Amino acid sequence: MDAHLWKQCLDRLEEEIPEQPFNTWIRPLHAEPHPEGNLRLLAPNRFVLDWVREHYLGLIQDTLTGLTPEQPTQVRLEVGTRQQAPVDKPREPARFTRSSSREQSPLPATNHTLNSTFTFETFVEGKSNQLAKAASMQIGENPGGAYNPLFIYGGVGLGKTHLMHAVGNLILQGKPNARVVYLHSERFVADMVKALQHNAINEFKRYYRSVDALLIDDIQFFAGKERSQEEFFHTFNALLESQQQIILTCDRYPKEVDGLEERLKSRFGWGLTVAIEPPELETRVAILMAKAAQAQVEMPDEVAFFIAKRIKSNIRELEGALRRVAASSRFTGRAVTLDFVKEALRDLLALQDKLVSIENIQKTVAEYYKIRVADLLSARRSRSIARPRQVAMALAKELTSHSLPEIGDSFGGRDHTTVLHACRKVAELRETDIRIKEDYYNLLRTLTR
Amino acid sequence: MATTLQQLALQLRLPDRARFANFYPGPNRESLQQLQTFVEQRESGSFFLWGRPGEGKSHLLMAAAQQVNGQGGQAFYLSLAAPELPSPAVLAEGMEGIDLLALDDLEQVAGRREWEEVLFALYNRVRQQGGRLLLAAQSRPDQCGFMLPDLVSRLQWGLVFGLRPLDDADRIRVLQLRASGRGLDLPDEVAGYLIKRYPRDLASLCALLERLDTVSLQAQRRLTIPFIKQVLERET
Repeated sequence: MDAHLWKQCLDRLEEEIPEQPFNTWIRPLHAEPHPEGNLRLLAPNRFVLDWVREHYLGLIQDTLTGLTPEQPTQVRLEVGTRQQAPVDKPREPARFTRSSSREQSPLPATNHTLNSTFTFETFVEGKSNQLAKAASMQIGENPGGAYNPLFIYGGVGLGKTHLMHAVGNLILQGKPNARVVYLHSERFVADMVKALQHNAINEFKRYYRSVDALLIDDIQFFAGKERSQEEFFHTFNALLESQQQIILTCDRYPKEVDGLEERLKSRFGWGLTVAIEPPELETRVAILMAKAAQAQVEMPDEVAFFIAKRIKSNIRELEGALRRVAASSRFTGRAVTLDFVKEALRDLLALQDKLVSIENIQKTVAEYYKIRVADLLSARRSRSIARPRQVAMALAKELTSHSLPEIGDSFGGRDHTTVLHACRKVAELRETDIRIKEDYYNLLRTLTR
Repeated sequence: MATTLQQLALQLRLPDRARFANFYPGPNRESLQQLQTFVEQRESGSFFLWGRPGEGKSHLLMAAAQQVNGQGGQAFYLSLAAPELPSPAVLAEGMEGIDLLALDDLEQVAGRREWEEVLFALYNRVRQQGGRLLLAAQSRPDQCGFMLPDLVSRLQWGLVFGLRPLDDADRIRVLQLRASGRGLDLPDEVAGYLIKRYPRDLASLCALLERLDTVSLQAQRRLTIPFIKQVLERET
């Protein structure tokens, strides 16, 4: 079966199936050419495979049969994905991972899971993380020693993962053949579930107990997962006994994690527990400058201070802002100045546009002009009522997606031409009457704040 | 007879699919270009697009998925507002092997712990695998109402772009662009007529255009104001 046939089949299916479900279920299937007149379709996971089989397999089969009635093609669905091959070279033979081979060895490779750029050298030190960094360095130099486990806790995006990797990298530096495994707690849970399903729990146990250092991130996600906690408890004890290093991170102090067994909580406290606090302004500036240098973005001090003053919660958000500034600077070709940054980060820093309703506009306008909402909806035509009504209508047109007849309806059943007239009138007055201009902007600001 | 005509009309209709080429950027030129760069560069990371309903987020996500698929890559698009929403297991392991994951209407699952944890885990796996996540929601990551701060901080990590609202002149241009994609001629005054009388969000307007396309083909009539009036009066 040639790839061309699947392409033809896709064209037909695209006509039959609505755009969204087509893009969700059909388009991502990867067709693998198969010599014997069969078509092997790879779905990214079991769930997608089952869904496609239940909802679309019949249609796919019929379409293919319709295309080559003389030589029927059989469809086989399997789990697997096309590996990360460059997308602009479609002619290169694609490589595949098949689920069967994945499932035989579900365990993470050692050392490859460490991010080599997360080192102590690239970690920006400040008051908020000094202690944690010093303790982590000691452990990197002397793993499995007195401080076991190392428990690093603090809010999201403050550098826990960075420190953890830095320790792993330092251990490897001292002992290049050490087996260091980093994983997220969710992966530990998923691997264990898979091992149980495939009767491979002994392999799982052997694997995790054979490493020199085990680094597990975000252990708060163990909460409520009793079987995983049980397994982790035993792994933990085994590693501790044979003096292998354990490093854990968590978003809070161990005792405060709900849904975690007491015996685990108490063991987490046996080694060294260190906190990372949110960085203070100077540290945020230093982090930003360091990241900017890494990204080859020239950032003046005043710009770094401007951003760091406004983004306080976590370092990821700082990095996100930097990324945005760098991208916009490349796009516009403009230098990173204070004015430029204010503009580039407008939608990141400004309070978001609220979804405004007509009712809300009426209420706000009535309050502003000290009249009643009922007046706005009434038939009264005196200037003191009619003008605010017109302003409210213009605001409704500008701030909502309602049609003009709908807006008219909401103002006591007026015609859409009345709304149109109001909008034109207000636009005109905003040019000629400074008071109306101010009123309009004040109201706009209030409503979108 | 009516059925046959209708079927014929459906077969003759040009499909109007979401592509970068038929996206009208209006005030969102930069967001569009940055997104295209993100899709083309294949650098690992995430891109978060937010904006009011009907500003073209779904269009851009599907266009991005289409582009990757069209170039021999593998992209997956899922709207979390889909009428038949699958269980979070749809994002289970394996998904990170896809070149581009486009997840639309994220705010729909904000506050649902199971979904949030799955999204969080997916983010981590995609990052570790070097893949790309393209996400869209009605608000900025920190204002979607997610309960997991871990998820929010990751969504803020990548590029975040807000789509600016289109004004009526922009909306007319969008309608005309979408109409010409269908082989329809939509004069200014006709587009203006639609904008003044019907909900002005683009999703409703494009759906309306699709209906008008079908009936104009059946009736062999051009889209004029009297014809549209007649059709829409019949509908109500």
